[in-house]
Amino acid sequence: MNMKKPKKRQLTKSEYETRKNRIKSFVVLFVASVFFAFPLLYMLGTSFKSPADLQLHPERIFPSHGEWTLEHYEGFLWREGQVDNMPFWIFNSLWSSFASVVLTVLIDLITAYAVVFLKFRFKKIFIKFLYVWMAVPGILGTVPSFAMYVAGANSMELTGALRYVYIYMWMIVPGTTGIFNLILMKNFFESIPADIVESARSDGAKNRTIFRRIVIPLAKSTIMLIVLFTFVGSWNNLIFPQLILFGEDTRWSTVTVSLIGFTGGSGWGMVGVSMATSVFTLIPIIIIFIFTQNRMIDAIATTGIKM
Amino acid sequence: MDNGIKQKQILQAKVKRRELCLAMLLTGPYIVIFLVFGLLPAVLGIAFSFMKYNPYSPAGNEFIGFKNFANLFNADMNISRTFWESFSTMLAFDFVAVPLLIAIPLFLAYHINMRPPGYKIFRAIIYLPNVVSVSIMGIIFGNMFASNSSGLVNSWFGTDIKWLSGTPWKNDILRWLVILIASIWWQTGTNFVIFSGALRNVPKSLYEACEMDGGSKSRCFAKVTLPNIKSSVTICLFNTLIGYLGLYGQTVTLNDLTNNNLLVSPMMFIQNYLMGGTVYASQTGYFCACAVIFGLIVIFFSTIERICTADRRRKTNYTEKCKKYMADKNFLREAGLPEEGKIFIPDERGGL
Repeated sequence: MNMKKPKKRQLTKSEYETRKNRIKSFVVLFVASVFFAFPLLYMLGTSFKSPADLQLHPERIFPSHGEWTLEHYEGFLWREGQVDNMPFWIFNSLWSSFASVVLTVLIDLITAYAVVFLKFRFKKIFIKFLYVWMAVPGILGTVPSFAMYVAGANSMELTGALRYVYIYMWMIVPGTTGIFNLILMKNFFESIPADIVESARSDGAKNRTIFRRIVIPLAKSTIMLIVLFTFVGSWNNLIFPQLILFGEDTRWSTVTVSLIGFTGGSGWGMVGVSMATSVFTLIPIIIIFIFTQNRMIDAIATTGIKM
Repeated sequence: MDNGIKQKQILQAKVKRRELCLAMLLTGPYIVIFLVFGLLPAVLGIAFSFMKYNPYSPAGNEFIGFKNFANLFNADMNISRTFWESFSTMLAFDFVAVPLLIAIPLFLAYHINMRPPGYKIFRAIIYLPNVVSVSIMGIIFGNMFASNSSGLVNSWFGTDIKWLSGTPWKNDILRWLVILIASIWWQTGTNFVIFSGALRNVPKSLYEACEMDGGSKSRCFAKVTLPNIKSSVTICLFNTLIGYLGLYGQTVTLNDLTNNNLLVSPMMFIQNYLMGGTVYASQTGYFCACAVIFGLIVIFFSTIERICTADRRRKTNYTEKCKKYMADKNFLREAGLPEEGKIFIPDERGGL
C-alpha cells in the first residue's frame, strides 16, 4: 500500500498573517541592526589599520590585505616605564559608576519603603514637592554647585588622595537623589498588594523582615531598571565632571571626560589612536553588557514602567 | 477598664513615635543629599542671579537687582547675543530630534514585539550603542563624517563635503544632520527598551477584538496600542525633552577645527564660561541669570508637555450607566431587599 505523505496543513488566515508580519519585522529589524552595529564595527576595524592603510583606503571598514596591526594599541597599559593613564581612567569610571549605582539603589529602596509602607506626617507634601521639583532642570544648580565645590576645595585646602576623594564625592553623591528613580520605585512599591504586607505584619513580621523578605525580592526588576539607567548615566556623565576635573591630575580623569580630547576639531589626525582608545575603554563595559543585557532588558520589558 | 484604654493609647503613641523615628531614619539620607546638592544650589542660583557675585573674591559681592537680567535681554551686548543664538539653534534642533527619538524607538519596539526569529539579538544590538560613552560616539561619527577625503562617507562617494563645518543659521545644516543621526544611533536604546516593555503588556485580546470589529492596522494602533502605552510615552517624552533641552555632549564632540569654539546650545554656553575658571568668575551672577532664564523656559516646555499628556477623564455614557447600576445595587442591599430581578439593568432599551 502506498503510504501517503502527511500533507502539510493549510495555514489559517490569521496564522498566515502572523507569519507575514514576522517576516516583515525581521527585515525591518535586520536593516536597523545594520545601522546600529555599523559604527561600532567601523571603530573596531579602523583601530587595527596601519597608518598607510588609513591614508590610502579610508573607504574600507577593515584593514586591507590582512594588514592587521596592533600598533595603535601599544602603550595603553605600560608606557615609558610606568603604568599608562588609560587603566586609571577605566578604573575611575568603573568604580565611580558602581558606587553611584549601589548608593542610588540603596537610597531609593529605603526612601520608597518609608514613603509607601510607613505612616508619618509630611509624607504627602514630600511626594508632591518631588513631583513639582522634577520639572526644575539641573542647570539651575550647575553654577552654584561649582561655586560650592570651589569654596569647599579652597577652604579645606585638600591635596593628594583627599582631594581625589572630594572630587569623586561631588561626582557621585549629587546624582543619587534622581527623582525619576525614586518615583519609579515608589510606584512599584504601591503596586504590591497591600494584603501581602498586612498579613506579614499580622504574623508579627518586623519592618526589617518585610523589607528584606518581601519587598526586595518583588522589586528585583525595578532595581534592574534603576541599575541600568544609573550605570549608563553615570558612565556618560560629562557636564559636571568636566568642570571639576578641569586642570586636575590627568590620572584622576574618567573615560568620558578624557576622551573628549580626541573628538571634533581637537582630534584631528589621530584616527588610529583615537579609535584604539575607544575600543580599549569600551572593553569592560561591553563585557558587563554581554553578561547582563539579556536578563536586564527582559526584566525591564516584563515590568514596564509605571508613573 | 479605663486603665486598660489608657495603656492601649500609650502603646499606640509609642508605636506611632517609633514609626516616625524609623521613617526619619530611612528618608533622612535622601532628604539630606537632596537639600544639600539639589535644593541649595538651585536656591543659591536664583540668589546669585540678582547679585554681582565672584566665588574667588567674596569681598565684592553685592546685590544689584535685575541688572543681570537686563543685560541678558540687552541685544547690544555680544555675550547676550551669543546666548540667544545658542538658544535658537538648540530649540530648532529639538523640534526635529525629540519627535524622532520617540517615533523611531516606538517603531522598532513594535517590530521587536512581533517576535521575529532572533529578536533577542536584534534587541541587544539596538540597545548596545546606549552604553557607549558620548565621547566615543563623537570619535566614531567625527571620523565617519570627517570633512576631508579621509572620512568614510566622503571616500565612499568620492566627494569632498565639509560635513561638520559651518556656522549656525548659515551653512551648518549638514552638521546638524550628522548630530541628528548620531543622536538617533546613540540614544534610541532607552526609549526602545521602555516601549518594548510597555507594548508587551498590552493585552492580546484587545487586538483581537479590534481585528474582529474590522479595524485596520493603523486604526488598531491608534485605538488600542497608543492608549495602552500612554504612560510610557509620557515618561519617555518628558525625559527626552529635558535631555535634549540640555543638549551638550553631541555638540561638543561633533565639530570641526573651524567651529569648535562656537556655542550652539545654552548648556555649552554656560559650561564654556565656567570652564574659564577665574577669568570669567566675576561674571558668575550673569551666568546664573542665564541659567535661571533657561530653566524657566525648560519648565515652560515641560509643563506644556505635562498638560498635553495629562489624563482627561471623559465621562462616557457607559461609565455613568455602570455607576448608576452599582448605586442601585448598593441601595437595594442596604434596604434589605433581594437583589436579583429587581434592579435596573443598563441596556439600550432601558427596560427592567
